[in-house]
Amino acid sequence: MSSAARQQQEQPSVDPEALARLERFGGQVLLREMVGLYLANAPERIAAVEAALAADDVIAAENALHSLKSSSAQLGAMRLARLCEAGEQITRGGRLAGVADVAHAGRSELERVSAWLTDALARRTS
Amino acid sequence: MSTIAVVEDNADNRLLLQALLGERYDLVEFDNGVDALAGLSASLPDLVLLDISLPGMDGNEILARIRADERLRALPVIALTAHAMAGDREKYLNEGFNDYITKPIVDETVLFDAIERRLAEAS
Repeated sequence: MSSAARQQQEQPSVDPEALARLERFGGQVLLREMVGLYLANAPERIAAVEAALAADDVIAAENALHSLKSSSAQLGAMRLARLCEAGEQITRGGRLAGVADVAHAGRSELERVSAWLTDALARRTS
Repeated sequence: MSTIAVVEDNADNRLLLQALLGERYDLVEFDNGVDALAGLSASLPDLVLLDISLPGMDGNEILARIRADERLRALPVIALTAHAMAGDREKYLNEGFNDYITKPIVDETVLFDAIERRLAEAS
C-alpha cells in the first residue's frame, strides 16, 4: 500500500462541511459548545452500549446507539455514525449479536474523531 | 412571537435548535415525555417539535396522548428524528404527525419552512 493510500485509510471518515455548517447556524460559540458536549457525552454513550451488552438489554443498546448516531452525524463523524447505524439495525431486530464488535470499533473510531474535532477547533483560533 | 415546545433528550440537539430558532420563536424545552405533557397542558404552545427516540415514553406515545387530549389535540406536531428509513415519512404522517424533519439538520430552511407552514395552517 502506498503511504498516501495508508494515510487515506487511517484518516477518520469525517465531513468538515458539518463543522462549517454549525458555524453558519450559530457561529463559533455554537460550534464550540456542540463539540464540547459531544466530547463529554460520546464516550458515555459507548460505555452505555457496553453496559447494555453486559446486561443483555437490547432497548438500552438501541437507545445509546441511536443517540450517538444522531450526534455523530450532526458533527460530521460519518464513519462513526454509520457504525452506530449498523449496530442500531441489529438491535432493532431484537438482537445483540455483533453489537460488541460495533462498540469496539466505535470506541477506536471515537478516538480519531475526538482528535479531529480538537484539531479543528484549534485551527479555528489560529 | 410564536411559542414552540421542543421535546428532545439530547442536550446537543436542544442547543442546536436554540441556535437556529431562538431568535425567531419563544422556545420551551423538555427532555422527557412526562414533563412535556405536563408542560403542554400548563401552557399551550403554538407548535411542538417532538423527537421520536426518547427514554421512557417515546415520541409516538407522546403524540398519541396529545391527540387523545381535548385541549392539546389540535396542536401542530412535527416529528424530529434520526430514524430516516425509506417510507418513514409516510409512516409518521399516517400516525398523526403534521410534518417530519430528519436529523442531522443539514438545510435549516427545511425546518423553518415546515414550522412556518404548520403554524400558518393552525392559525
